[in-house]
Amino acid sequence: MQSEIRATIDAIEYYLPQKVLTNAELCKNSEKWSDEKIVSKVGIRSRHVAKEGECASDLAEQAAQKLFAQHAIDPASIDFIMLATQSPDYPLPTTACILQDRLGIPTTAGALDFNLGCSAYIYGLMLAKGLVLSGAASRVLLLTAETYSKHLHAEDMSVRIIFGDGAAATLVSANGKGAVIGAFDLGTDGSGFENIIVQTGGMRYPEGTNDGSTSGDKDENKRFLYPDCLYIDGAEIFSFALRVVPETVKRVLEKSGLSQDDIDLFVFHQANGFMLRVLKKKLKIPNEKFFVDMEDVGNTVSASIPMTLKRACDAGLVHPGDKVMLVGFGVGLSWGATIITAGESDGSPSAGETVAAAGESDGSPSAGATVVAAGESDG
Amino acid sequence: MTPEEKLAALEEMLELEAGDLAPTTKLSRLEEWDSLAALAFIVLMDDRFSKTITGEQIRSFATVQDIMDEMEM
Repeated sequence: MQSEIRATIDAIEYYLPQKVLTNAELCKNSEKWSDEKIVSKVGIRSRHVAKEGECASDLAEQAAQKLFAQHAIDPASIDFIMLATQSPDYPLPTTACILQDRLGIPTTAGALDFNLGCSAYIYGLMLAKGLVLSGAASRVLLLTAETYSKHLHAEDMSVRIIFGDGAAATLVSANGKGAVIGAFDLGTDGSGFENIIVQTGGMRYPEGTNDGSTSGDKDENKRFLYPDCLYIDGAEIFSFALRVVPETVKRVLEKSGLSQDDIDLFVFHQANGFMLRVLKKKLKIPNEKFFVDMEDVGNTVSASIPMTLKRACDAGLVHPGDKVMLVGFGVGLSWGATIITAGESDGSPSAGETVAAAGESDGSPSAGATVVAAGESDG
Repeated sequence: MTPEEKLAALEEMLELEAGDLAPTTKLSRLEEWDSLAALAFIVLMDDRFSKTITGEQIRSFATVQDIMDEMEM
Protein backbone atom coordinates (compact mmCIF):
# COMPACT_ATOMS: atom_id res chain seq x y z
CA MET A 1 0.00 0.00 0.00
CA GLN A 2 1.23 3.43 -0.82
CA SER A 3 1.70 5.67 2.17
CA GLU A 4 0.02 9.04 2.33
CA ILE A 5 2.00 11.95 0.92
CA ARG A 6 3.23 14.45 3.46
CA ALA A 7 4.41 17.96 2.67
CA THR A 8 7.56 18.85 4.57
CA ILE A 9 9.64 21.97 5.15
CA ASP A 10 13.10 20.61 4.40
CA ALA A 11 15.28 23.68 4.60
CA ILE A 12 15.11 27.42 5.23
CA GLU A 13 17.69 30.13 4.62
CA TYR A 14 17.44 33.88 4.62
CA TYR A 15 19.30 36.85 3.28
CA LEU A 16 19.55 40.41 4.54
CA PRO A 17 20.81 43.29 2.41
CA GLN A 18 24.18 44.59 3.59
CA LYS A 19 23.17 48.15 4.35
CA VAL A 20 22.17 48.61 8.00
CA LEU A 21 20.05 51.48 9.28
CA THR A 22 20.45 52.06 13.02
CA ASN A 23 18.09 53.85 15.39
CA ALA A 24 20.77 56.45 16.00
CA GLU A 25 20.85 57.26 12.31
CA LEU A 26 17.05 57.39 12.11
CA CYS A 27 16.75 59.65 15.14
CA LYS A 28 19.38 62.13 14.03
CA ASN A 29 16.87 64.82 13.17
CA SER A 30 14.05 63.82 15.47
CA GLU A 31 13.25 65.42 18.78
CA LYS A 32 10.53 62.96 19.53
CA TRP A 33 12.42 59.73 18.98
CA SER A 34 15.56 58.29 20.52
CA ASP A 35 17.38 55.00 20.21
CA GLU A 36 16.26 54.01 23.70
CA LYS A 37 12.66 54.93 23.12
CA ILE A 38 12.48 52.89 19.92
CA VAL A 39 14.06 49.87 21.59
CA SER A 40 11.75 50.02 24.59
CA LYS A 41 8.60 50.57 22.53
CA VAL A 42 9.09 48.33 19.51
CA GLY A 43 12.14 46.21 20.36
CA ILE A 44 14.16 47.17 17.27
CA ARG A 45 17.71 48.56 17.26
CA SER A 46 18.56 48.35 13.60
CA ARG A 47 17.21 47.03 10.33
CA HIS A 48 18.70 46.12 6.98
CA VAL A 49 17.62 48.12 3.95
CA ALA A 50 18.14 47.43 0.27
CA LYS A 51 20.26 49.94 -1.56
CA GLU A 52 19.09 51.74 -4.67
CA GLY A 53 18.66 49.25 -7.48
CA GLU A 54 18.64 46.30 -5.10
CA CYS A 55 15.25 44.67 -5.57
CA ALA A 56 13.12 41.85 -4.19
CA SER A 57 14.44 39.53 -6.93
CA ASP A 58 18.02 40.21 -5.83
CA LEU A 59 17.30 39.43 -2.19
CA ALA A 60 15.28 36.35 -3.13
CA GLU A 61 18.07 35.14 -5.41
CA GLN A 62 20.63 35.44 -2.62
CA ALA A 63 18.39 33.58 -0.19
CA ALA A 64 17.77 30.81 -2.74
CA GLN A 65 21.46 30.47 -3.65
CA LYS A 66 22.24 30.13 0.03
CA LEU A 67 19.56 27.48 0.40
CA PHE A 68 20.98 25.51 -2.52
CA ALA A 69 24.57 25.79 -1.26
CA GLN A 70 23.98 25.09 2.44
CA HIS A 71 21.68 22.15 1.90
CA ALA A 72 23.17 20.63 -1.26
CA ILE A 73 19.99 21.24 -3.22
CA ASP A 74 20.23 20.95 -6.99
CA PRO A 75 18.28 23.79 -8.67
CA ALA A 76 17.38 21.25 -11.37
CA SER A 77 15.31 19.37 -8.78
CA ILE A 78 12.95 22.31 -8.20
CA ASP A 79 9.67 21.96 -10.08
CA PHE A 80 7.79 25.00 -8.76
CA ILE A 81 8.79 28.53 -7.71
CA MET A 82 6.53 30.71 -5.66
CA LEU A 83 7.43 34.26 -4.67
CA ALA A 84 5.53 36.37 -2.19
CA THR A 85 6.29 40.05 -2.59
CA GLN A 86 4.56 43.42 -2.47
CA SER A 87 7.59 45.18 -3.87
CA PRO A 88 8.11 43.35 -7.19
CA ASP A 89 10.80 44.42 -9.65
CA TYR A 90 8.20 45.34 -12.29
CA PRO A 91 4.39 45.62 -12.49
CA LEU A 92 4.90 42.78 -14.94
CA PRO A 93 6.39 40.28 -15.69
CA THR A 94 6.16 37.99 -12.70
CA THR A 95 9.32 38.25 -10.63
CA ALA A 96 9.30 34.47 -10.01
CA CYS A 97 9.76 33.97 -13.77
CA ILE A 98 12.88 36.11 -13.71
CA LEU A 99 14.15 34.05 -10.80
CA GLN A 100 13.60 30.77 -12.69
CA ASP A 101 16.23 31.86 -15.16
CA ARG A 102 18.61 33.45 -12.67
CA LEU A 103 18.57 30.42 -10.38
CA GLY A 104 19.01 27.83 -13.13
CA ILE A 105 15.71 26.15 -12.37
CA PRO A 106 14.39 24.04 -15.26
CA THR A 107 12.02 25.64 -17.76
CA THR A 108 9.62 22.79 -16.96
CA ALA A 109 9.00 24.36 -13.54
CA GLY A 110 5.90 26.39 -12.74
CA ALA A 111 6.39 29.89 -11.35
CA LEU A 112 4.13 32.52 -9.87
CA ASP A 113 4.14 35.55 -7.64
CA PHE A 114 1.50 36.14 -5.04
CA ASN A 115 0.69 39.45 -3.44
CA LEU A 116 0.40 39.12 0.32
CA GLY A 117 2.41 40.65 3.11
CA CYS A 118 2.69 39.59 6.72
CA SER A 119 0.42 36.57 6.21
CA ALA A 120 2.19 35.48 3.00
CA TYR A 121 4.38 32.75 4.48
CA ILE A 122 1.38 30.90 5.91
CA TYR A 123 -0.40 31.13 2.55
CA GLY A 124 2.77 30.08 0.75
CA LEU A 125 3.07 26.97 2.90
CA MET A 126 -0.60 26.21 2.29
CA LEU A 127 -0.23 26.58 -1.49
CA ALA A 128 3.00 24.57 -1.53
CA LYS A 129 1.38 21.83 0.52
CA GLY A 130 -1.56 21.83 -1.90
CA LEU A 131 0.75 21.47 -4.90
CA VAL A 132 2.67 18.65 -3.26
CA LEU A 133 -0.39 16.74 -2.06
CA SER A 134 -2.11 17.07 -5.44
CA GLY A 135 0.97 15.72 -7.17
CA ALA A 136 1.30 18.88 -9.29
CA ALA A 137 4.77 19.48 -7.88
CA SER A 138 7.17 17.62 -5.64
CA ARG A 139 9.82 20.19 -4.77
CA VAL A 140 8.53 23.73 -4.28
CA LEU A 141 10.86 26.68 -3.77
CA LEU A 142 8.90 29.12 -1.63
CA LEU A 143 10.47 32.57 -1.67
CA THR A 144 9.37 35.55 0.40
CA ALA A 145 11.17 38.79 -0.38
CA GLU A 146 10.40 42.38 0.51
CA THR A 147 11.97 45.78 0.07
CA TYR A 148 9.30 47.72 1.96
CA SER A 149 11.92 50.40 2.63
CA LYS A 150 11.25 51.57 -0.92
CA HIS A 151 7.58 52.11 0.00
CA LEU A 152 8.40 54.30 3.01
CA HIS A 153 8.45 58.07 3.12
CA ALA A 154 11.73 59.48 4.40
CA GLU A 155 9.91 61.60 6.99
CA ASP A 156 7.48 58.96 8.21
CA MET A 157 9.24 57.74 11.32
CA SER A 158 6.28 55.65 12.49
CA VAL A 159 6.97 53.16 9.71
CA ARG A 160 10.70 53.68 9.22
CA ILE A 161 11.46 52.49 12.74
CA ILE A 162 9.48 49.29 12.16
CA PHE A 163 10.28 47.89 8.74
CA GLY A 164 13.40 46.20 7.44
CA ASP A 165 14.13 44.47 4.14
CA GLY A 166 14.96 40.82 3.71
CA ALA A 167 14.21 37.58 1.94
CA ALA A 168 13.79 33.94 2.87
CA ALA A 169 13.90 30.76 0.83
CA THR A 170 12.11 27.59 1.93
CA LEU A 171 12.11 24.18 0.30
CA VAL A 172 8.81 22.36 0.61
CA SER A 173 8.84 18.82 -0.73
CA ALA A 174 6.91 15.59 -0.82
CA ASN A 175 7.89 13.23 1.98
CA GLY A 176 11.12 15.03 2.86
CA LYS A 177 13.00 14.69 6.12
CA GLY A 178 11.92 17.99 7.54
CA ALA A 179 9.00 19.39 9.49
CA VAL A 180 5.61 18.08 8.46
CA ILE A 181 3.19 20.85 7.51
CA GLY A 182 -0.09 20.32 9.33
CA ALA A 183 -3.50 22.00 9.34
CA PHE A 184 -4.20 25.59 8.40
CA ASP A 185 -6.56 28.29 9.54
CA LEU A 186 -6.85 31.22 7.16
CA GLY A 187 -8.82 34.45 7.21
CA THR A 188 -9.50 37.62 5.23
CA ASP A 189 -11.23 40.92 5.98
CA GLY A 190 -11.09 43.17 2.94
CA SER A 191 -13.16 45.84 4.68
CA GLY A 192 -9.91 46.93 6.30
CA PHE A 193 -7.98 47.24 3.04
CA GLU A 194 -7.26 50.94 3.54
CA ASN A 195 -5.62 50.37 6.90
CA ILE A 196 -2.34 49.25 5.34
CA ILE A 197 -2.00 50.67 1.87
CA VAL A 198 0.21 52.22 -0.77
CA GLN A 199 -2.38 54.20 -2.71
CA THR A 200 -0.69 55.11 -5.94
CA GLY A 201 1.18 53.16 -8.59
CA GLY A 202 -1.61 50.69 -9.36
CA MET A 203 -4.21 51.27 -12.05
CA ARG A 204 -6.70 53.05 -9.76
CA TYR A 205 -4.25 55.88 -9.16
CA PRO A 206 -1.53 55.22 -11.72
CA GLU A 207 0.15 58.58 -11.37
CA GLY A 208 2.27 59.02 -8.31
CA THR A 209 1.97 62.45 -6.75
CA ASN A 210 5.73 62.59 -6.19
CA ASP A 211 4.75 64.80 -3.34
CA GLY A 212 5.38 64.05 0.28
CA SER A 213 3.90 67.25 1.58
CA THR A 214 0.22 67.45 0.75
CA SER A 215 -1.67 70.25 2.37
CA GLY A 216 -3.82 69.87 5.42
CA ASP A 217 -3.28 69.06 9.02
CA LYS A 218 -0.52 66.50 9.26
CA ASP A 219 -2.01 64.46 12.05
CA GLU A 220 -5.70 64.54 11.27
CA ASN A 221 -5.25 63.90 7.60
CA LYS A 222 -2.48 61.39 7.82
CA ARG A 223 -4.21 58.80 5.69
CA PHE A 224 -3.55 60.98 2.67
CA LEU A 225 -0.30 62.52 3.75
CA TYR A 226 2.05 60.39 1.66
CA PRO A 227 -0.15 58.70 -0.98
CA ASP A 228 2.86 57.30 -2.85
CA CYS A 229 4.15 55.65 0.29
CA LEU A 230 3.07 53.07 2.80
CA TYR A 231 0.30 54.17 5.11
CA ILE A 232 -0.60 52.23 8.23
CA ASP A 233 -3.41 53.01 10.60
CA GLY A 234 -1.59 51.71 13.63
CA ALA A 235 -4.59 51.73 15.94
CA GLU A 236 -6.82 49.86 13.48
CA ILE A 237 -4.16 47.25 12.77
CA PHE A 238 -3.49 46.81 16.42
CA SER A 239 -7.18 46.27 17.20
CA PHE A 240 -7.37 43.89 14.25
CA ALA A 241 -4.45 41.80 15.49
CA LEU A 242 -5.81 41.67 19.04
CA ARG A 243 -9.08 40.40 17.60
CA VAL A 244 -8.04 37.89 14.93
CA VAL A 245 -4.81 36.39 16.24
CA PRO A 246 -6.35 34.73 19.32
CA GLU A 247 -9.19 33.43 17.11
CA THR A 248 -6.92 31.92 14.47
CA VAL A 249 -4.72 30.36 17.17
CA LYS A 250 -7.78 28.73 18.70
CA ARG A 251 -9.10 27.48 15.38
CA VAL A 252 -5.84 25.99 14.12
CA LEU A 253 -5.51 24.14 17.42
CA GLU A 254 -9.05 22.78 17.02
CA LYS A 255 -8.38 21.72 13.44
CA SER A 256 -5.23 19.95 14.60
CA GLY A 257 -6.87 18.28 17.59
CA LEU A 258 -4.37 19.92 19.91
CA SER A 259 -4.50 22.13 22.97
CA GLN A 260 -2.37 25.22 23.40
CA ASP A 261 -0.17 23.36 25.89
CA ASP A 262 0.76 20.87 23.16
CA ILE A 263 2.59 23.59 21.24
CA ASP A 264 6.32 23.68 21.99
CA LEU A 265 7.09 26.96 20.31
CA PHE A 266 5.14 29.90 18.88
CA VAL A 267 6.68 31.79 15.98
CA PHE A 268 4.52 34.79 15.15
CA HIS A 269 5.04 37.30 12.40
CA GLN A 270 7.48 39.75 13.97
CA ALA A 271 5.24 42.81 13.63
CA ASN A 272 6.83 44.85 16.39
CA GLY A 273 7.89 44.19 19.95
CA PHE A 274 4.96 46.02 21.48
CA MET A 275 2.33 44.11 19.56
CA LEU A 276 4.05 40.78 20.23
CA ARG A 277 4.20 41.45 23.97
CA VAL A 278 0.50 42.25 24.05
CA LEU A 279 -0.45 39.18 22.00
CA LYS A 280 1.72 36.91 24.14
CA LYS A 281 0.06 38.22 27.29
CA LYS A 282 -3.44 37.99 25.86
CA LEU A 283 -2.87 34.39 24.77
CA LYS A 284 -1.12 33.55 28.05
CA ILE A 285 1.84 32.02 26.23
CA PRO A 286 4.84 31.46 28.52
CA ASN A 287 7.95 33.48 27.63
CA GLU A 288 10.05 30.42 26.87
CA LYS A 289 7.58 29.26 24.24
CA PHE A 290 7.24 32.60 22.50
CA PHE A 291 10.17 33.38 20.24
CA VAL A 292 10.90 37.02 19.44
CA ASP A 293 14.02 37.89 17.48
CA MET A 294 13.73 41.12 15.55
CA GLU A 295 16.06 43.55 17.29
CA ASP A 296 18.50 43.62 14.38
CA VAL A 297 16.07 43.11 11.49
CA GLY A 298 12.78 44.83 12.29
CA ASN A 299 9.56 43.78 10.63
CA THR A 300 10.56 42.09 7.37
CA VAL A 301 6.95 41.46 6.29
CA SER A 302 6.69 38.15 4.40
CA ALA A 303 10.28 37.17 5.22
CA SER A 304 9.70 37.52 8.94
CA ILE A 305 8.20 34.14 9.84
CA PRO A 306 10.68 31.92 7.95
CA MET A 307 13.59 34.05 9.13
CA THR A 308 12.44 33.84 12.74
CA LEU A 309 11.77 30.11 12.46
CA LYS A 310 15.26 29.58 11.05
CA ARG A 311 16.74 31.64 13.86
CA ALA A 312 14.80 29.62 16.44
CA CYS A 313 16.24 26.45 14.91
CA ASP A 314 19.75 27.88 14.92
CA ALA A 315 19.29 28.84 18.58
CA GLY A 316 18.47 25.20 19.36
CA LEU A 317 14.87 25.94 20.31
CA VAL A 318 13.28 23.46 17.92
CA HIS A 319 13.73 19.81 18.79
CA PRO A 320 12.79 16.74 16.78
CA GLY A 321 9.07 16.10 17.13
CA ASP A 322 8.33 19.58 18.44
CA LYS A 323 5.11 21.24 17.39
CA VAL A 324 5.65 24.80 16.25
CA MET A 325 2.78 27.17 15.57
CA LEU A 326 3.32 29.81 12.89
CA VAL A 327 0.98 32.81 12.76
CA GLY A 328 0.91 35.64 10.22
CA PHE A 329 -1.37 38.70 10.17
CA GLY A 330 -1.45 42.05 8.43
CA VAL A 331 -2.03 43.82 5.12
CA GLY A 332 -5.18 42.76 3.24
CA LEU A 333 -6.36 42.46 5.87
CA SER A 334 -5.25 38.85 5.87
CA TRP A 335 -4.18 36.30 8.42
CA GLY A 336 -3.37 32.64 8.84
CA ALA A 337 -1.87 30.04 11.13
CA THR A 338 -0.44 26.56 10.78
CA ILE A 339 1.24 24.00 12.97
CA ILE A 340 4.36 22.17 11.82
CA THR A 341 5.91 19.13 13.45
CA ALA A 342 9.71 19.04 13.40
CA GLY A 343 11.27 15.93 11.85
CA GLU A 344 12.09 13.00 14.13
CA SER A 345 15.75 12.31 14.75
CA ASP A 346 17.83 9.58 16.34
CA GLY A 347 20.12 12.27 17.62
CA SER A 348 22.83 11.98 15.01
CA PRO A 349 23.01 14.56 12.26
CA SER A 350 21.86 12.95 9.09
CA ALA A 351 23.69 13.00 5.79
CA GLY A 352 23.92 16.37 4.15
CA GLU A 353 23.03 18.23 7.30
CA THR A 354 25.36 19.99 9.61
CA VAL A 355 24.59 20.84 13.18
CA ALA A 356 23.53 24.41 13.69
CA ALA A 357 26.35 26.70 14.66
CA ALA A 358 25.64 27.93 18.15
CA GLY A 359 26.46 31.31 19.58
CA GLU A 360 25.97 33.38 16.47
CA SER A 361 23.96 36.40 17.39
CA ASP A 362 25.40 39.14 15.26
CA GLY A 363 22.43 38.98 12.98
CA SER A 364 24.30 37.81 9.96
CA PRO A 365 22.71 34.83 8.34
CA SER A 366 24.43 31.88 9.93
CA ALA A 367 25.29 28.60 8.36
CA GLY A 368 23.95 25.32 9.58
CA ALA A 369 21.01 23.05 9.22
CA THR A 370 17.53 23.92 10.22
CA VAL A 371 16.40 21.64 12.96
CA VAL A 372 13.20 21.84 11.01
CA ALA A 373 15.02 19.39 8.80
CA ALA A 374 16.67 17.38 11.55
CA GLY A 375 17.15 13.74 10.96
CA GLU A 376 15.36 11.00 9.14
CA SER A 377 11.80 10.19 9.83
CA ASP A 378 11.24 6.53 10.55
CA GLY A 379 9.55 6.23 7.16
CA MET B 1 -14.50 52.69 37.93
CA THR B 2 -14.84 56.19 39.38
CA PRO B 3 -13.75 59.22 37.36
CA GLU B 4 -10.76 59.53 39.67
CA GLU B 5 -9.76 55.93 39.03
CA LYS B 6 -10.10 56.45 35.29
CA LEU B 7 -7.87 59.50 35.39
CA ALA B 8 -5.33 57.61 37.47
CA ALA B 9 -5.34 54.71 35.00
CA LEU B 10 -4.80 57.12 32.09
CA GLU B 11 -2.04 58.95 33.93
CA GLU B 12 -0.31 55.67 34.62
CA MET B 13 -0.69 54.62 30.99
CA LEU B 14 0.79 57.90 29.74
CA GLU B 15 3.53 57.88 32.37
CA LEU B 16 2.31 61.16 33.82
CA GLU B 17 2.26 62.40 37.40
CA ALA B 18 -0.91 62.14 39.46
CA GLY B 19 -3.02 65.20 38.87
CA ASP B 20 -1.56 65.96 35.43
CA LEU B 21 -4.81 65.09 33.68
CA ALA B 22 -8.23 66.66 33.99
CA PRO B 23 -11.40 65.66 32.12
CA THR B 24 -11.21 68.94 30.25
CA THR B 25 -7.62 68.41 29.09
CA LYS B 26 -7.52 68.80 25.31
CA LEU B 27 -5.78 65.90 23.62
CA SER B 28 -4.34 68.15 20.93
CA ARG B 29 -2.44 69.94 23.70
CA LEU B 30 -1.27 66.71 25.31
CA GLU B 31 2.11 65.75 23.92
CA GLU B 32 1.98 62.28 25.48
CA TRP B 33 -1.19 61.40 23.56
CA ASP B 34 0.50 60.02 20.44
CA SER B 35 0.11 56.99 18.23
CA LEU B 36 1.83 54.72 20.74
CA ALA B 37 -0.43 56.01 23.53
CA ALA B 38 -3.39 55.13 21.34
CA LEU B 39 -2.11 51.55 21.15
CA ALA B 40 -1.60 51.46 24.89
CA PHE B 41 -5.20 52.63 25.31
CA ILE B 42 -6.44 49.84 23.03
CA VAL B 43 -4.59 47.35 25.24
CA LEU B 44 -5.98 48.92 28.42
CA MET B 45 -9.54 48.70 27.09
CA ASP B 46 -9.06 45.12 25.93
CA ASP B 47 -7.47 44.12 29.20
CA ARG B 48 -9.63 45.89 31.77
CA PHE B 49 -12.93 46.32 29.96
CA SER B 50 -12.85 43.54 27.32
CA LYS B 51 -13.77 46.18 24.75
CA THR B 52 -12.37 46.70 21.27
CA ILE B 53 -11.58 50.31 20.45
CA THR B 54 -11.22 51.22 16.79
CA GLY B 55 -8.88 53.73 15.21
CA GLU B 56 -11.91 55.76 14.21
CA GLN B 57 -13.06 56.04 17.82
CA ILE B 58 -9.59 57.11 18.84
CA ARG B 59 -9.48 59.78 16.15
CA SER B 60 -12.82 61.12 17.40
CA PHE B 61 -11.52 61.80 20.91
CA ALA B 62 -11.00 65.50 21.59
CA THR B 63 -10.69 65.65 25.37
CA VAL B 64 -9.71 63.35 28.21
CA GLN B 65 -13.41 63.19 29.09
CA ASP B 66 -14.10 61.58 25.69
CA ILE B 67 -11.63 58.83 26.56
CA MET B 68 -13.12 58.39 30.03
CA ASP B 69 -16.59 57.97 28.55
CA GLU B 70 -15.39 54.83 26.76
CA MET B 71 -13.98 53.35 29.94
CA GLU B 72 -17.08 51.40 30.90
CA MET B 73 -17.82 47.69 30.78
